[in-house]
Amino acid sequence: MMDLIVAVLRTGTPMIYVAMAGVLAQRAGVWNLGLEGLMITGACASAVIAEQTGSVALGLLGAVGFCVLLSALLWLVIEKLKANPIIAGLGLTGLGLGGTDFGIQAVYGSEGAVTAPAGIPTLGPAFGPFGVLDALVLAMPVMVFGVWFACRRTRFGLRLTASGEHPFAARSVGADPARMRLIALLLGGVLAGLGGAELSLGGLDIFSVGMTAGRGFMAFSAVIFGAGHPVGATFAALFFALVEFLGIKAQLVFGEHAPRDFVLMLPYIATVLGIWISARLRGGALLSAIEMRDG
Amino acid sequence: MSAALACDGLTIRFGAFTALSAVSLSFAPRQIHAVCGQNGAGKTTFARACAGLLAPSAGTIQIGGNPLRGGHVKDARAAGVELVHQSFALPPSFTIAEAMEFGLTGKRGAVFTRRGLQARWRGHLEALGVDAKPSTRIRDLPVETQQAVEIARALAGDARVLILDEPTAVLAPAAAEALFERLKRLRDSGVTVLIILHKIREVLAVADTVSVLRGGKLVAGPDDAASLTAARIATAIIGHSPAPAGDSAETAEDIGALVGTDLPHGHRHTLTGPRSVAALTGVTTRPGADGQSLQNITLTVGAGEILGIAGVEGNGQRPLVEALAGLVPLTEGSVTLDGATVTDLPLAERRKRGLRIIPFERNTEGLSLSSPLWENFAARSLLAKSALSLIDPAALRRAAHKAFQSWDVRFTSVDNPARSLSGGNAQKVILSREMDAEAKLIILAQPTRGLDLGATAFVWQAMRETRDRGLGLILISSDLDELFDISDRLIVLQGGRIAGQFAPPYDLGRVGSAMVGEH
Amino acid sequence: MRARLLAIIRAIAFIALALILCGIIFEASGFSAPDMFSAILDGAFLSDGALIHDLRWACPLFVSATGVVVAFRCGYFNVGTQGQFYLGGVGATVAVALLPGLPAVIVTLVAILAGIGFGALWAFWPGWLRIRSGTDEVITTLMGNFIAGLLLVWVTSGPLKDPSGSGQVTSSPPVPLAIRLSTDTGVSVWILALTVLVGVVTWVLVNRTAFGVLGGLAGRNPVMVTWQGARLSRLGLGAFLFSGATAGLAGAMEVLGPDGRLVSGFSPAHGFTAVLIALVANLSVSGSVIVALFFGGLASASLYLPVIAGLPSAAIDMVNAAIALFITSRAMPGWLRLPRRNRS
Repeated sequence: MMDLIVAVLRTGTPMIYVAMAGVLAQRAGVWNLGLEGLMITGACASAVIAEQTGSVALGLLGAVGFCVLLSALLWLVIEKLKANPIIAGLGLTGLGLGGTDFGIQAVYGSEGAVTAPAGIPTLGPAFGPFGVLDALVLAMPVMVFGVWFACRRTRFGLRLTASGEHPFAARSVGADPARMRLIALLLGGVLAGLGGAELSLGGLDIFSVGMTAGRGFMAFSAVIFGAGHPVGATFAALFFALVEFLGIKAQLVFGEHAPRDFVLMLPYIATVLGIWISARLRGGALLSAIEMRDG
Repeated sequence: MSAALACDGLTIRFGAFTALSAVSLSFAPRQIHAVCGQNGAGKTTFARACAGLLAPSAGTIQIGGNPLRGGHVKDARAAGVELVHQSFALPPSFTIAEAMEFGLTGKRGAVFTRRGLQARWRGHLEALGVDAKPSTRIRDLPVETQQAVEIARALAGDARVLILDEPTAVLAPAAAEALFERLKRLRDSGVTVLIILHKIREVLAVADTVSVLRGGKLVAGPDDAASLTAARIATAIIGHSPAPAGDSAETAEDIGALVGTDLPHGHRHTLTGPRSVAALTGVTTRPGADGQSLQNITLTVGAGEILGIAGVEGNGQRPLVEALAGLVPLTEGSVTLDGATVTDLPLAERRKRGLRIIPFERNTEGLSLSSPLWENFAARSLLAKSALSLIDPAALRRAAHKAFQSWDVRFTSVDNPARSLSGGNAQKVILSREMDAEAKLIILAQPTRGLDLGATAFVWQAMRETRDRGLGLILISSDLDELFDISDRLIVLQGGRIAGQFAPPYDLGRVGSAMVGEH
Repeated sequence: MRARLLAIIRAIAFIALALILCGIIFEASGFSAPDMFSAILDGAFLSDGALIHDLRWACPLFVSATGVVVAFRCGYFNVGTQGQFYLGGVGATVAVALLPGLPAVIVTLVAILAGIGFGALWAFWPGWLRIRSGTDEVITTLMGNFIAGLLLVWVTSGPLKDPSGSGQVTSSPPVPLAIRLSTDTGVSVWILALTVLVGVVTWVLVNRTAFGVLGGLAGRNPVMVTWQGARLSRLGLGAFLFSGATAGLAGAMEVLGPDGRLVSGFSPAHGFTAVLIALVANLSVSGSVIVALFFGGLASASLYLPVIAGLPSAAIDMVNAAIALFITSRAMPGWLRLPRRNRS
């Protein structure tokens, strides 16, 4: 039971940080499909910088910096060049995946992986099974509470939500929806950078090319599954992590009878089920239809 | 005493289109000022410019003697100017308390608890007579309450000038009276009210001064309302535009209906025959997405008849159209069309039997704005074919071209997107598609909303001609003047039920009380 | 005509912008941007045999792109081309494995049909979820790509594994030459004929059938066609199945053509590039022909870069992604905007 909680927290935390970035963006009216790209950028930048400088703190800072920069680029493309947010988001994801691959090959040759000298500080063996939890895992509940509080208990959060839900209403009271979206995306860049860093520096302290493997998209789905609510999205991400954990457990127990490839499919299937259920419960998200509609 | 709000040479252009041209006006404080004009006269543009939502292309706006930076809502609000939109601007998921809060500025209260927020606004809402809990969500409120909340939101700060854009469009006559009383109390407490209206009757009931816009220009005012007559205001609103076609008695009534001077009485049209083209029998539907449903509706439409449907918006008009179209499942009852039962048939089959619909929302339900005109026109005929049948686009373009010409649509090319047309011409494109030779029953939902005088008269004329050809028409409108003028028979919907049936001459009092559920 | 010219200028402008962005990243990573671009140009179009390589990649890409054109026109963002492409390859390989000893022509035909069917099947479930319950197809099709990728790994290392195979990349046994559509060059009469056939069929479907016009209307405004009596579910499912079928066909073409076997993780950028081709071509079938040749060149450059020029092949992924980032932009930079004629 203990190892289940620890494992789910460790697998879920990177997705939760990225999902909170998605919640902020969604509230401001951007369906951010670039999360996958931001996550891998964060993972790559933190590991490479930590390896080059020997400092994990600089690695985290660099991850945040790169993700904020990419988020600003996405905002420019969506808001100023009026690109389709879905395609632009997928483009950003491609840029993140391709760019990290390119960067790793440029710096380290064709190995496709970087080993950081150290990871994010953990609690240490004094805490028993919980000793492997690191600072970002421990900060996660505080961060989720912070996002919830900002969205639901401040005037800023009301204006953020109004900018996404009814931009004209936001404009009528003097809030600038485009600016709110910039703020949401930049804050999201910070969170996604941390989520990516947790992915690479929160466990094996290795970055390998393509290591996000769709976790950014799962975080995006967690936002849909959680109906844009920070706590809901958190539990959705933990659910995806639980499915992944159970799959690995099943493989350990059943061995050859649980083919590895099918076990690896479980989180993706869970994601499909998750957004299907939320579509059944709340009517579809229909993001593409919104984009294509006249307007 | 300096003016509460004044503008000098105010001009607003959208691309090549000039919405307001050199308007100079000055409004005295502590009065109710009406700004009226037809649809498309520039009233809403004027209201939005005064509230800082639009930047003037030329000219200035002054609030209480201080110039307003154009296009800065925050500045306008800081100076005490608040705007209540025609279609309200409140996020539907917000609670009333949140809707009160999200527009506030200033450091105090930027962070709150849910209970604290509700406590903060309870007194304010009670003082303004808003009868709803602060924890209720906006989307669960009836329109009158939504409007009251929006006005309360506008008054949440230190509003000195309150601008209301067509506030009566969504209200029953009695609710409009109540709104006017509320505005008069506000005036007496020191607020300057600017109210955008297009019904002269309402202008005379509430305003201290009257200004008239026509084609983006100021043509009269502000004049003392006491010195004006309905006829003079009507002349200013209509100007010297050509009279719509038709016989003179109808024309006179049409003009009266267009500007809402006095109520037209409606003239009895002799039905060409007793044959019914459509009937609903005991129709009940489940509540749709907007919570509306139909309850045991029975009605028939005769050939050669225009059946008017009156009612406050949101009382079952949309489910009625959807039930006739087969877009909403019935829980009980049946639908017949041209003598045949079509209860279980999809819309495509009903259309084959002569059903035509001019839907509520011209720009989303009626047309695909980004698609070429010819595709918009061809949609109906293409749906009668199987999906993989080959088509000849050149022939379809020619057919669209011909139809548009005979309906007097002003267009440059059938390859242009529907977005390129004005509202009136866009509506004509829909009419040309839906009022074809094989039509038997035509449903027109708010067909003249947002159209100018000429286009409105055109639509009415087309309706009369179609009726005289022996078709059945159902006209759904929130404009009682329009309904009284053109309907051969009137049904009032209230809460999804039929609250009354009326024949000309119509009595506003009786129709009005049926609309709000009083018998 | 004017609108079309404008669209072409716009596409070129945003591709240029994307290349500038990539150039900056190249320079920041310590490469020389001019060298990198000239190597890409060599690999794509200028080196010996580059044009044949270009065609080899462009044909399957074009076939998949036509399906994307149809789905996107109808308003469905089917970005699951990669998964549908993989399933098509699996289908063709299964057919070949199950039909030993039959005449080659029949096996080839059945294998192609199996590819089409498997691809359509992989588009069916996201389409069904989208149409029946509004489940967002962007996520389901993306997840479908990951699942299909794992299925491919399983198939090539399990049921369809080449027993004599060795090394890291698993694959199926080679397809007998008689059954194949082309040799390893990937360019043959059959491949070209299939590609042209798909192009013509899709062009007619889009431009000369009721489905094409109504689908276009539905894609821009589904509400409007509903009020005209269209059944969106049929139009939509048709679009999904068609796009899945074309991607499946492309997968079968790879297995029966240049690849000659089912390789785990083959053509990993195929789906994304096909979507990109459709978008750059502004969802036009005829436009996709030229755009596919351009991206086919880039695809062959991604093999040329590491082998001949010693540069990272991920550069091509970056160029593609950067183009995707910008290509749907509606606004034009001021200096490119053509003077506006007055409205009459």
